[in-house]
Amino acid sequence: MEEKLRAVLVIGGGIAGIQAALDLGDMGIKVHLVEKKPSIGGRMAQLDKTFPTNDCSICILAPKLADCFRHSNITLHTLSEVKEVTGQMGDFSVKLHKYARFVNEEKCVNCGECAAKCPVKVPDEFDMGLRKREVIYPYYLQGVPAVMTIDRENCLYLTRGVCRICEKFCTREAIDFEQKDTDVMLNVGAIIAATGFDPYDPSGIPQYGYKRYRNVILSLECERLMCASGPTGGHLLRPSDNKPAEKIAFVQCVGSRDFKNNRYCSSVCCMHATKEAMLAYEHDHKVKSCIFYMDLRAAGKGFQEYVARGEQEYNISYIRGRVAKITEDHDENPIVWYEETQSSKTNKMTADLAVLATSLMPRKDVKELAKVLGVELDEYNFFKTDPLNPLDTTRPGIFVCGCCREPTDIPESVAQASGAAERAAETVMR
Amino acid sequence: MNEVRVGVFVCHCGTNIGGFLDVPGLAKYALSLPNVVFAKDNQYTCSEAGLTEIKNAIAENKLNRVVVASCTPRTHEPLFRSICKDAGLNPYLFQFVNIRDQCSWVHMQERERATEKAKALIRMGVARAVLLEPLEETEIEVNPCALVIGGGIAGMTCALSLANRGFEVKLVEKEDRLGGTLNSLYKLYPANEEASKLVQDKTKKVKNNPNIEVLTSSEVKEVEGFIGNYDVTVRQGEKERLFKAGVIIVATGAETLKPMGMYGYDGENVVTHMELERMLKEGRLNADMVVMIQCVGSRNEKRVYCSKVCCPTALKNAILIKEAKPNAQVFVLYRDMVTPGTKYEDYYGKARETGITFIKYSPERKPVVENGSVRVYDELLGEELVLPYDLVVLSTPMVAHRNSTDLAQKLKVPVDENGFFLEAHVKLRPVDFATDGIYVCGCAHWPANIGESISQAYGAASRASIPMSVGRVKTEPLIPVIDEDECSGCGLCELTCPFKAIQVEETEKGRKAKVIAASCKGCGACGAGCPQRAITMRHFTDEQLVAQVIALAEVTH
Amino acid sequence: MTFQESFEPDILGFLCNWCSYASADLAGVSRMQYPPNVKIIRVMCSARVDPTIILEAFIQGLNGVMVLGCHLGTCHYMTGNYYTERRMKTTKNVLKNVGLSPKRLLVDWVSAAEGERFATLVKDFTERIRKLGPLGKETDLEPQQLRIRLVAAKEALAQQRIRWLVGRERELVEDKNVFGEKVSQEEFDQLTLQTVEKEFAKRRILLSMKEEALSVKEIAQRVEASPREVLRNIVSLERDGLVSFVGIEGNSPKYRRAGG
Repeated sequence: MEEKLRAVLVIGGGIAGIQAALDLGDMGIKVHLVEKKPSIGGRMAQLDKTFPTNDCSICILAPKLADCFRHSNITLHTLSEVKEVTGQMGDFSVKLHKYARFVNEEKCVNCGECAAKCPVKVPDEFDMGLRKREVIYPYYLQGVPAVMTIDRENCLYLTRGVCRICEKFCTREAIDFEQKDTDVMLNVGAIIAATGFDPYDPSGIPQYGYKRYRNVILSLECERLMCASGPTGGHLLRPSDNKPAEKIAFVQCVGSRDFKNNRYCSSVCCMHATKEAMLAYEHDHKVKSCIFYMDLRAAGKGFQEYVARGEQEYNISYIRGRVAKITEDHDENPIVWYEETQSSKTNKMTADLAVLATSLMPRKDVKELAKVLGVELDEYNFFKTDPLNPLDTTRPGIFVCGCCREPTDIPESVAQASGAAERAAETVMR
Repeated sequence: MNEVRVGVFVCHCGTNIGGFLDVPGLAKYALSLPNVVFAKDNQYTCSEAGLTEIKNAIAENKLNRVVVASCTPRTHEPLFRSICKDAGLNPYLFQFVNIRDQCSWVHMQERERATEKAKALIRMGVARAVLLEPLEETEIEVNPCALVIGGGIAGMTCALSLANRGFEVKLVEKEDRLGGTLNSLYKLYPANEEASKLVQDKTKKVKNNPNIEVLTSSEVKEVEGFIGNYDVTVRQGEKERLFKAGVIIVATGAETLKPMGMYGYDGENVVTHMELERMLKEGRLNADMVVMIQCVGSRNEKRVYCSKVCCPTALKNAILIKEAKPNAQVFVLYRDMVTPGTKYEDYYGKARETGITFIKYSPERKPVVENGSVRVYDELLGEELVLPYDLVVLSTPMVAHRNSTDLAQKLKVPVDENGFFLEAHVKLRPVDFATDGIYVCGCAHWPANIGESISQAYGAASRASIPMSVGRVKTEPLIPVIDEDECSGCGLCELTCPFKAIQVEETEKGRKAKVIAASCKGCGACGAGCPQRAITMRHFTDEQLVAQVIALAEVTH
Repeated sequence: MTFQESFEPDILGFLCNWCSYASADLAGVSRMQYPPNVKIIRVMCSARVDPTIILEAFIQGLNGVMVLGCHLGTCHYMTGNYYTERRMKTTKNVLKNVGLSPKRLLVDWVSAAEGERFATLVKDFTERIRKLGPLGKETDLEPQQLRIRLVAAKEALAQQRIRWLVGRERELVEDKNVFGEKVSQEEFDQLTLQTVEKEFAKRRILLSMKEEALSVKEIAQRVEASPREVLRNIVSLERDGLVSFVGIEGNSPKYRRAGG
């Protein structure tokens, strides 16, 4: 009798992937946690605080990152992607492609001497392009593994054969330009997809002015601005002139509930706009926020109370009305044009800053991944599941959780992640 | 009594510490401290070379305490503790001194003062190290049997999953059959599966599973014990069953508010959705003019929350009515249409396409049901409408089960202000209770649709399976130790602890506090508050803390 | 340079493992600079800090103490920091009784992401203590007198009465007592203030008595309180079994410290 394969592949190192990996690891099952980026943490690491408790996001995430890293049953594969999956439930063969980091993970102690000397600066992805970073860099300060990475697309040596200054200044000999990409073969009994989401880019809806007007930003950009470890040290400053934003317009359903763009609702935006407005007020009591919404979706535990508090104590007004367009005045103040449905009148409001709540979309490369995994996606390119088997994909042995399944909040993602771990455990221990 | 022999290792961490503090000087200073018999500085104490040096030093110098002065215990304490263990030294005889993140890195321009500070910190660390005691991490066995309370969709899903994993499950259900709320439903949204078929399928699977024992018409009478070792008493009619369980899962569901006195509710012409579903199931629907009112008894001052499932339920039933009677007039009076996610927006669209009319009303001007018609002010039209009806259907919220508080007390777990069970952490531990070994899923936790209940049930099964899979749980070594002669049994510690890890019990010496190491988290809140000062917190004793304070004062004066 | 400017305060900080200690580490990782006056003791939860240990720090001559925990509502151990808050409130009251500025004890909440805030907190507190001056400068007490008062304060905080009261604050103010009554926050704060004052006075009396038999008047002189107040406290101490009546000299009853 073959020994059962007690190993599971978890694709995606965000909160859902991490939770699934920890549960499986704690059960005694070996886990390969694969993450495309240089560090695990996902979108939750980018948030400042989380609703409805306004807990500091990275504070509650960091212990889980450390647990994953140290767990004797979890092998972390960062800077890696799944390229091939063959076999069937109980016995999958997986080909992982590991991109070279050009930094030795055992030797690097994250001291930062190399970055201090790196001559090239490019927009930082984690900070949503709101600041520049060096080409040898930590993906984010509290990232795990806590090592530097070299961005091969912008590194002078890797693209043009010159420089190598970082290597000269590293006292640990941790920089290794000879590193090569490798392929690793894994044998697992089950797979869990937890690849999360990308925010919808509303440049395709020109009437909202994103990328045309500097003070029209996305909610994730707003999070980074308000985060103490973000590009402005936690101050909500207007991108155009770095002045503090005191009147903020939150525009909901950008790209969502929209026949032309995404028909579905992204579930969490009513809540995160409330949160961002609350945090802005906490930073500066002069802040007044208006949230332009269609239907207020606050059905989770404590959510209605959260919204009520926002209205009563945090100077937030909720205006039911779809925003038709955003323009700007000569001071680059966004002007929000909207129809107030209750009065059927059209109106406009000039704000210091407009924050767009855009749809949560599946990741850009999800179609490729679905093909590799041999699973179906639904009409929105989320992993297809059926209502009574919500964590199973269309291929036996492959399970799904979190936002790649459907946009959802952190508690749901975590519960689903544990659930997917259980489904995977049932599979590998059959 | 053995002599205390301390070894101190001061790290350069390359130039991170060495570039800002006089590290060799610190090692020399350390050697001058009482009880220190060995001290040296290393380039990278956490490197293979550095770790080997520690191991060798322990053996060669018969060290029984190790102090490392380097970066931060939050990343490196486990590493050095395991090195001590490898060298045969109890890992709790290790002390970390943070001279990088909290010294060299933050005083980069003040070499002298920073070095003096590091000396003070090392002195404090050594003073504590001298007083450290070896601690054992004990383990207790976990009974691989799960008690699942509640036989609805959540309870059945959880029970089946755990049974498939090979664990024993006792499924306790109050009613005489499994199925819970599903037994009262007709079809399920959004795909119109039949509730009774789902119940049949699951019940069959549960009954055929040899690992599950189903106890219907049964209630949990008493639960004693702690994670891994629960003693459960279940009452079944006149009989009582006693058994042991390792973990407990609460899946007791919720009730639906009966709208007594609201909108003329009479159970005949003004009904709830449950009553409507029974009508639809039994083919008794005669109405041609149906008005549905949302948010009845919810989103108000008394009950602030939104019950999440009522909007999709109303859509489902409205569509079913239209499908059965295409000419029927159906109105849905709503405040916010709560159809989040990828499935329900389309469902809403479908409802509009079948000709259902949606009227938005404001909480300040609620609809009025009188004399065969419903008067409502349409917010979007800005007009008052009068809708004649044959049937009014009220969407009322899910409310906590009437027995939930009682069960909560038996299990010693908390409920929130609405009576729903309160999880350990709203974001990151949604299906755990703070008390180890007990979990929750489904509507007992919060209104949930069936898909969510199923996901949560698998989630709770996963969490509950962890201690059972391992077979043992480690007990916290940093526990309080009670001096029974000083303890007066006042119970303040029990009141203080949120994990129910310290409880007052009858002993031969009278009422005394007892520690449940399996549930303790080592925070020390009980110890710092004990009126009799009868509690000593292991590894963070008053003595150890005061020794650090005195050591600091010695340097500065 | 004035005396004030040359005074370098010695400050002790108790930081909780999960939030404030992490924020101090983050300040380090981010290379935020702050003065080296603060030395840190790590505890798992701020609730571990017994108020008597804080008094010990002052008895040992440290000039300032910080206790930093997680933000209220986010304590890693759920409710620990609520106990910290309550205990530290009482500790500040007793410092006032001693005659010290309660500003020498800083209690604040810092999350693991607030590295910059931690650095600012340390800078501000160091400045604050520098301005307050060496321990006791705000009083006109001799060092020996200050020391005795601090010891009395520490002993007061070690007594059952205060610990019991403070530990039950949440229950009494938010839930009900056995008679179904709730106590308002103001009432409770008043009650605690009075209890702290009384226990402090009692411990001062006990310390002043040493091994001698003394009359109320003699004790009153030593502790600089009115004989009437001293008598009230002596009666209470007698009830506690901490002093005993040993005889009459002339018209004055004499008391001595008793057993335990």
